[in-house]
This record gives sequence, C-alpha cells and structure tokens, in this order.
Amino acid sequence: MSHKISNRRKRLIDKAARWVVTIGGAAIIAWLAAIFIFISIEVYPLFGKPKTGEVFSFKIDGDFRPAAIGMDGYHESSYIIGDDGRVFFFSPAGGQTILKGLNRLNNLKDSKITSVSRSGDNRELAFGTSDGGILSVKIKYKINYDSNNKRIIESEIEENDLIQIIPEKTPIKLAAFGKKESDIATAVYTEDRRFLLYGRKTTESLLDGVKTEDFHADLSSFINDKITSLAMDGFLENLYAGAESGNIYHFDIRERSSPKLINTVKASISPITALSFLLGDVSLVAGDGQGGINIWFRVRDETAETGWRLKKIHTFKSQNGAITSISPSIRGKGFLTASLDGTVYSHFATSEQTRFIIQHSSKPIYMVSYSPKNDGLLSIDTENILYYQTINDPHPEISLKSLFGRVWYEGYEKEEYVWQSTGGTDDFESKFSLLPLIYGTLKGTVYALLFAIPVAVLGAIYTSLFMKPWLKGIIKPVIETMAALPSVILGFLAGLWLAPLVEKRIPAIMLMLIVLPFLSILSSLLYRSLPPSLKNKFNSGNESLLLIPVFIFGMIICLWMNYYIENLLFAGDFRNWYYNTLGLRYDQRNALVVGFAMGFAVIPIIFTISEDALSNVPKHLISGSLALGATLWQTAVRVVLASASPGIFSAIMIGFGRAVGETMIVLMATGNTPIMEWNIFNGFRTLSANIAVEIPEAPAGGTLYRVLFLAALLLFIITFMVNTAAEVVRQRLKKRYAQM
Amino acid sequence: MKKFIKTGEPFIWLTGGAVAISIIMIVAILLLIMKNGLGFFWPSDIALLTLKNNEKLLGQIVNREAIPQPGAEQGTILKYRIQLKMGNRDIYGLDFKWIDVEDIKGIDYPENALCLERREWGNMYGFVKELKIDGAVVSVADGNIRSALSSSVEKYGELHKRIVFVAKKEIGQINYDMERLRLKIRKLELEYGKENPAIKERIENISKEIEREKGMYEKKSLELEELYKKSREAVILMSTADGKEKEIPVYNVVRSYMPNDMGYFKKTGIYLSRLWEFVSDDPREANTEGGIFPAIFGTVMMVIIMSIAVVPLGVLAAIYLNEYARQGTLVKTVRIAVNNLAGVPSIVFGVFGIGFFIYFIGGTIDKLFFPEMLPAPTYGTGGILWASMTLALLTVPVVIVATEEGLSAAPREWREGSFALGATKFETIWKVILPSAAPGIMTGLILAMARAAGEVAPLMITGVVKLAPSLPLDWNYPFLHLERKFMHLGFHIYDVGFQSPNVEAAKPMVYTTTLLLIGVVVLLNIFAILIRNRLRKKYVSSTF
Repeated sequence: MSHKISNRRKRLIDKAARWVVTIGGAAIIAWLAAIFIFISIEVYPLFGKPKTGEVFSFKIDGDFRPAAIGMDGYHESSYIIGDDGRVFFFSPAGGQTILKGLNRLNNLKDSKITSVSRSGDNRELAFGTSDGGILSVKIKYKINYDSNNKRIIESEIEENDLIQIIPEKTPIKLAAFGKKESDIATAVYTEDRRFLLYGRKTTESLLDGVKTEDFHADLSSFINDKITSLAMDGFLENLYAGAESGNIYHFDIRERSSPKLINTVKASISPITALSFLLGDVSLVAGDGQGGINIWFRVRDETAETGWRLKKIHTFKSQNGAITSISPSIRGKGFLTASLDGTVYSHFATSEQTRFIIQHSSKPIYMVSYSPKNDGLLSIDTENILYYQTINDPHPEISLKSLFGRVWYEGYEKEEYVWQSTGGTDDFESKFSLLPLIYGTLKGTVYALLFAIPVAVLGAIYTSLFMKPWLKGIIKPVIETMAALPSVILGFLAGLWLAPLVEKRIPAIMLMLIVLPFLSILSSLLYRSLPPSLKNKFNSGNESLLLIPVFIFGMIICLWMNYYIENLLFAGDFRNWYYNTLGLRYDQRNALVVGFAMGFAVIPIIFTISEDALSNVPKHLISGSLALGATLWQTAVRVVLASASPGIFSAIMIGFGRAVGETMIVLMATGNTPIMEWNIFNGFRTLSANIAVEIPEAPAGGTLYRVLFLAALLLFIITFMVNTAAEVVRQRLKKRYAQM
Repeated sequence: MKKFIKTGEPFIWLTGGAVAISIIMIVAILLLIMKNGLGFFWPSDIALLTLKNNEKLLGQIVNREAIPQPGAEQGTILKYRIQLKMGNRDIYGLDFKWIDVEDIKGIDYPENALCLERREWGNMYGFVKELKIDGAVVSVADGNIRSALSSSVEKYGELHKRIVFVAKKEIGQINYDMERLRLKIRKLELEYGKENPAIKERIENISKEIEREKGMYEKKSLELEELYKKSREAVILMSTADGKEKEIPVYNVVRSYMPNDMGYFKKTGIYLSRLWEFVSDDPREANTEGGIFPAIFGTVMMVIIMSIAVVPLGVLAAIYLNEYARQGTLVKTVRIAVNNLAGVPSIVFGVFGIGFFIYFIGGTIDKLFFPEMLPAPTYGTGGILWASMTLALLTVPVVIVATEEGLSAAPREWREGSFALGATKFETIWKVILPSAAPGIMTGLILAMARAAGEVAPLMITGVVKLAPSLPLDWNYPFLHLERKFMHLGFHIYDVGFQSPNVEAAKPMVYTTTLLLIGVVVLLNIFAILIRNRLRKKYVSSTF
C-alpha cells in the first residue's frame, strides 16, 4: 500500500520537477533573449513617426486681424493679439477655449498694429504701428499652486514705451526688433519703401547717471528692391532682408549709424516671404513665395571679402503656397512653417527632415506658433479660425542621415561626421553621428589584432606542434589564466605605465617589432651551427625557452639604441619630428598603446581556440605526412594548418568580438576623442567607451539615452553575429575532423 | 642556406618566438605589479639632499631616470635625475620633485629624520623638535622624545577610533533612525492625507520619538565636541629640512617612525602594520591613502549576491537544456546563442541593467513601495542589487556552459543503471547526475565569480561609486541595504588612477589594489582550472 502511494508521489514529484525545470529553464533562456528585445524597444522611439493629436479649432469673434499668437509650456494660457491692440488669453488644452482674460495694449493709443517681430520663444514681441512707432511688449506667465497643489498659470502683458521711429508717422510694414541687455536695435520697412535702422544704447555710469544714445541710419539706398521680410540676430550684429526678387541682403549692423551691406545672395526665384532665425541665431530659415524652405548660414570662405559667405545649407520639402510664417522651437533646431495652402509643416534642421505635415485649413494659414516644450502648436488662418493641436515628437534630430551620414552643422565649413552630444549652452546643436565611434572601435580593434594575431596564432602553432609536452602543460594554463586578467588592470597599466614609457621610446618600440622576429631566425642559424654535443643538450622543443634570454637581450639593446636612433633619424625628439615633418599630432595615450594592451587581452582567446583547433587535427594525418617524407614544418603548414585554418579563423573572429566590445582598456588608454584618423599615434573613442562615459549623464528616455542604447544594440549585433559565425565554423570543423 | 630555410627550421623558431614574447609579457606584467604594489608599504630611508646652491631637501627617493636631451650631440654623457617624494603637501604644495643629479652636492641619511603619516595632507618628513601635551613640553634634549612620541601617537590613535565610533556609528545610527521616522510620517500623510485625524495620534507618537532621538543626538554631539577638544591637546613641533617649523596635532598622525634608524625587523613591523591598514581601513585623502576596506567589502558582497542569483538560474537552465529539452536544431541553436552571449560586450549588459533594472523595475518599485522618498529614488538608481543582477546575467552563460559540460560528462551507464533500479527521471538527475556534475557547477561558479570580480564597465553605470558613505551591510535595520551604492576594487583602480587629482601620489595605491585584484582573480581561475582538470580526468572529456 505504502509502496503504491510513494510511487504515485514519486511520479508527481517527477512531473512537477519536469514542469519547473522546463518552465524555469525556458524562462531563463527567454530572459537572455529579452536583453536584445528590451534594448531594441528602448531604441525604437528614435525612429518612430511623430504623433499629432486631434485638431481643435475655434473661431475668434471680432473684426480684427491677428498680430501675434503664442502659448505657455502647459497649454493653459495662450494668447492672441489683434491688430487693434486687443489681447485675449485663453486655454486651448482639451479643445475648449476658455477665455481667461481680455486686455488692451494701452500704449498703442488709436493706431493699429501693422507689423510684428517675434523673439524665438514668442514671449517678447515688437509691433510696428500704423503711426510709425515700435511698441515692444513682453508676455509673462506666472506659475502658482493653490491649496490642492493644483497648478494655476496667470498671464500678464508688460508694455514698454512706444518708440516713435518715423517722425512722419508712416505705417511700418515690416519690423525686426532686437534687444540685448540695455541695447536696442530695430530695422523697419515702411509703407513708402523706406528701409531704416534705429538703435538705442543705454549706458549707466556713476558720473553721468543713465544716458541714452540714439542712432539712425537709412538703408534704402543700398537696395533697389521691394523688401518682403526681415530678420535680425540676437547679437544685434546681422540684419537680413528678404526681397521680392528672391534676394537675401545681409547687412552688418555692428556700427548702428553706418551699417554695411556685405553680402547679397539670390536665394529664390520668387519673393522671400518669411525669414527667421533658429535657436542660437546662427541658422536663418528662408521661406519663399512658392513654398520653398531653405536654411542658410555664414560659412568661412577665404575668397569672400569679409572672410564669410552666406551659404544654403539645408533644403526642405516645399509647401504648395507662399510661406507666411515661421516659428522656431526654443528646444533644439526644429521649426514650423505655415503656408497659404493651409498647411503647417514641421522641420528639423540638423537631420534635414520634414517631420510631419498637417492640413489645418482650406484657407491660408496666417500665423503659426510652437509651444515652448515642442509638444503643441497653434495656428490661425485668414478667417480668424484658431487651430490647436498637441504634438509628440521627442527625437526629431535623429534620422539615418544624422546618425550615419555627413551632416552640415552650424559653424562648420563643410558636411562632417561629428559626435558631440552635449555642449555648454542651451542652444547647442547636438551632433549624434555614430560614425566616428564606429571608426574608433574599428581602429582600436585593427591595431589590437595586428599585434595579437601573429603572436597568438604563431604561438598556438608552436605550442600544439613543436613544444615539449611538459612545457605545454605549464604554458597553456598560464596563457588561459591570462585571459581572465581584468581589463581594468590592463587599462591601468596601459594608461599609466605603458603610455609614458612608449612616449619616450617610440623608436625603440618600433625597432623591437623588427628586431625580435629577426632575432628568432638568427637564433635558428646559430643553433644549427652549434657543435652536436651542445645541440643534444637543448634538443628541439625548447626553442621558446632558449629565445627568452635572447629576446630580453634584444629588448635591452633596442632600448639602448633608442637614444642614438632618435638623435640620428628624428632630430633627437621623435614627437617633434613627427609633428614637424608629417604634420601629425602625437598623443600620449594613443592607438599603439591600445593595440598592445588590447592585443594582450585578446591573445589568450585567439591562442586557446587556435591551439584547440590545431591539437584536434587527427593524428593519423600528421603521421601520414611525416611518413611520406615531409619535414615537420611542411607537415605543420600544409597539413595541420591547412585543415585547422577554419578553427583559426573562428578564433580570430572571437578575438575580434572581444576587442570590439572592450571598454575599460580603451577608456583608460586613449584620450577618448571622437576623431576619425588612422594615425597610430593619436587617440579615438569607441562605441563602448562612449557608452560608459556618457550614459550616467544621459536623462532616461532622452535622445542621447536612446542613441547610447542604439550604440549598445550595434555592439550586441556585431559581436553576436561574429561569434555565431565563428561558432558555426567551429562546429563544421569538428564534424569534419570526426569524419576523417 | 636555401636548404636550411626549406627545412622550415627558422619558421619553427619564429613561432617559438611568439610563445617566448607571450611569456616575457606575462612575467613582466606580474613582476611590475608585484614590485610596485608590494614595495609601497616598505618604509624606505629618508634622504637629506644638499644641493649645490645649499638648498636642503628631505624625502624618499622613488625614481631615477636619464634626462632626455633632444638635439644633443653624439657621445654626450647621459645625465640623470631623481624623483624625490618630499611630502609636506601643506607646506610645498606638491608631493614630488625631480632633481638633476648634477645639482646635488651630497646625500645623507640622518638618523633622526622622522616620517609622520598624517590623516590629512599626506606624509610629513622632518625633524621633531618638541612634543607638547596639554602644556607640558618634551623637547629633543630630553632624550625620551621617541618613546613619548610613539606612546602619544598610540594614545591619540585610540582617541581617533573613539571619535570615529561616536561620529559614524552612534550619531550615524541616530540620524538614520530620525530619517526613518520622518519618512514614516510622510508615508502616513501620503496614504491618509495631510490633515487626516485618523493618523494624528500615530504621527504624534512618532514625533515624540523624533524628539527623543534629537535629545540623544544633542548629548552625543556634546560628547563629540568634548573629544575633539581633547584631540587638540597634543601637538608635535616639527622642523623641515629647510628650517621651517610646523605644529602638527598628534591626533592627526597615523604613524610615526624614523626609518633611517630602523633595522629590517622593525621595518617589517611597519610594513605589516601598513599592509593591515590597507586591507582593513577606510580610504583617506580622496582615496589616495589609507585602506581599501570598503572596496574589498563591496566587491565580495556583490560577488556573493551575484552568486546567489546566478547558480540556481544557470543550473536550472543547464538541466533543462541537457536533460529535459528535446535535443534538436532548436536546442542546438539555443546552446550556441547562450554560448555567444558570453561574448557580448559587458557594457551592453550594463546598458540593459540601467534601462531594465534601474529605470524600469527600480522605478516601479519606488512608485509602489517608497512613495515617501520620491522624487529621490531608492531603487530607481544604481545600487548593489542591480549591479549584482546585471553581473548575474552577464555570467549566467558561463555557469550554463560549465554545468552542461558537467552534466553531459556523466556516463550514460549511470543514468541507465538508475532508471533500471526504478528511479524516476527527477530522482536520477537529483541523486545521480547532479552530484557528479557538482565540480562542473563549481567550475562555472568560480569562473563567474572571477569574471564578476574583475568586471568594471557594467558596474560603473549600475551602482559603483568612488566613495560610498556607508557599507551595504551594517547594524542599522534592516541590516542589508540592497539599494545602496558601493565601492569596488576594479572601479577603485580606474577612479584613483584616472580621476584622482593627485595621480602621481596615488599610483602606488593603485598598484597595490591591482595586485590584490589580480591575486583574487588568478587564484579563483587556478582553482577553477584545477577542478576542471580533475573533472576531465574523472570522466571522458568532451570538449571542443
């Protein structure tokens, strides 16, 4: 009876164990696969399409034309200013226009707004009036919290005094207004085609108190063209005027009283209808009468008189009607454009992409405005219908081109591959080209393998074929243990011991690379000419031991010669000579040092696997070859090496995989500068070191964070594929040996 | 000659050269680390250098090299310079100085040259003039200054221990408790609302407890102040080689000795005491001096937590793959994939750890269980648990592969015998196969531990810091603090060697840490190789 029960129990336990092990084991294996999936999921949003929310539209009643629109960061307090000076505050969020306040611009008096100049964040506005005045205002949002911790946003409008620029009171058709500390500059284009520059400098000193100085200049004489748009940079140094002819005129207005026209470019065949700077006031967006959108900025050019020339850098997808309004983002280099055809396009400068297209109206869109956090937009058409929409486009700067292609960044002379994820200022243009990092990874790997492959493969050949068995029993485990040496130790030695050492003795190191192989061959000659009695004492199989003192001697000679070679060939100082004659920089922590250190890390891996492959060549093949009269070396090369070559190949592949992903050595033994040069004496930055350096500072979910995940994914895929290829080759070889 | 080349003899020598160069490199690296790492604790003699301009310098000679002379003519005599560790950072501003040998008039080793190892500002080299304890002065002329010095250093060392105990242990405990009580209140408020009468009484009780803790805190602070006052009682008046005088509080001195007047026996004593300090004490002076105990502790603890996770996972997966899964192309593919995962760069695992463990799991845990701490993360930031888990994932392929090797090494007859006796599959595995695979599992575990101990890249982004304020295991409830950041030997090497403000002074420490780490890793590996060899001898081998 009890026997039966225990049998049933046994079966139950057995079944349970089967389930537990199967589920658990499969789960763990799935878990490992999940690493790949999870990293991919984190990367995916980089390439995701932007999402746009539902379009809400509201008709604004009243007999006016809009002069300006804009919104706050929480979409709770947007404003619209009419040309009659009325200011509406309302909340567009959720699709209901809740009117939160109505104001009037008091200083406008009875005149009307005829033109507007907006700052990048839409908070500082300057209106040109029908009376020839300029009224600058500031929109302020105050964030308070009520007793329930609910956010309340109060908006305010702050007016400055009206500046009467045109004494004749002619209406101002276009205005460009800029303010920098206490310095004001305004360019205006009037109804009667006058193009004027006005500046006011306020200085405060202890002696004179506050002193203001006004400057006036007339620019009309420079241009015989009808101006259709204006833009002034935030430094108050450059003024751009777009004209009906399609020209863009560039004025240097550093001298307010005597501005100069320094550059004229033909930007389009149709009028330039909108001009605006992007964040940072370097890139100038120009929209034309046919809907074309281009980005221009000044690039160094020796042939130009001023040393700079305005160049067309990026071209975007055209809209089907004249561009009416451009709204730059205050986070990054994105911008919105609106057109007569009723569409709003979103673009991003760095990646030269048009991110999304929205048709808001069948009527022309008169004006468009980005929300401060790039998560919403407002537009208004000629019928005074306002459109509000949320946007979710967190990574507009990423495209295949910006990751892997050449990009023309602001301030650069040409298109380049650059990795520079963060900069000192808010208006910094992030440069996410992975190519310098991939390049650095390959550079490090190549130099490491250049050193490791000969040593490891030759060593494996010797160990498996020629070495005395007793010695092999020691050497093999020693080299295997070497594989376990933490890479941080190798990195430390490379960076703090080897790098300064090599720096002082480059000629000697170079010499060693030639002398040591030469010495081994020389030793074989010497050995042959030894009298037989001595020869018998060191019978073959001990060559490597005999060579150790020879090599040490050779190294000492090389180090000793260093001084003389450096004096003889390199004028006493290799680094200077290198710089002066070849024009290349010498970094203390360079690819040569990494090559040695990482090579050292890779040698045991290649050695062990190659040695296994060589040792597993069936013995009867070797015996057969020797029996047929082939020498030991002939057998080694023609029989053993030939049949084990796939194994050696797979060893090299696995070594490659290890070198590609190595982090600590490159982190410590290179300067980590992401440059693209094959020069052996300077540094580089690898994908892996880059992750280690930057991920602690990367905010979770941000673009940099995801790009670093992409770098990890790349590493994962490269190493996994290389290792799989190596493994498959090994399996096949194993099968082949079994058949022999 | 041609014939000789045809025999291939030179090429055999060439391949032999490759082995020779590998051996030379390994031995050179080990010797280099041993020399620099072990020599650091030896109290070498203090040299008094008199320069030709009659300047006098006191310090330990640490290096000697030829001066590079670019553009010099052939046959110029090489000139040398020596590097002197001058110490006295508070006076000179730098620790080391290079001095041209030809500028030196003479080198003496005065018997009374004193080395003071200080808690701040590094070593001081000089001559003792007076010892003032609480007003009483012992001067050099008294003759017994040496014994007075050593006994007072010992006495104030005890005082230092007491201060550390009060400041860190007792006051630390009070602070910890107070913070815990404060969080309790916050948690209650979050749960029930701020002004909820239901929790009023409980909050009052907790507040009372906080008040009590505050009272204790004040008492302890007074005691600490008293101790600090005591610590300022005794000072040593030192004079440097160039005659400057400086008062050093005895309390600030870790160790004082006159190496020039010491025999090998005494020096060995100092050596051992410094070695002990190295492995048992906290670091000082931005990790460039003192000990590395927290790093050793952190490394060991992380390896243990990792082992607890990795063994069941790895063994379960291996048993599944080897015993339960139907052997076919799929399992073969999985096996290759698992094997290759061991070759995926460790930084990739680190990235996974940061994204999955820290931000995803940690962030969720914080939201669910530690809302009172937010926005400061508890588990949503790097910590020893996440670092260990990341390393467990990294090393699980090693354990799987080694365990499978062990499992498949068990002869088939054993299984058949067991089945024939009526055992179920589970019993066979549990009682017959698994015990015989134990050495394989051990090998896997040891290799995993060795890898984990030496790995740095994934750790530095998942919870290792340069200086952890407290250990992940202490006397404060709940004793084991898995969310805490920790120190690690490998990262210590990276940090001190590359991020420290005074790399030159820190170098010997790094070498010693390196030696320790190499020792641990190599020992573990040798152990693993020995076990594996025994395993292979016992059963039929099936590698490659």
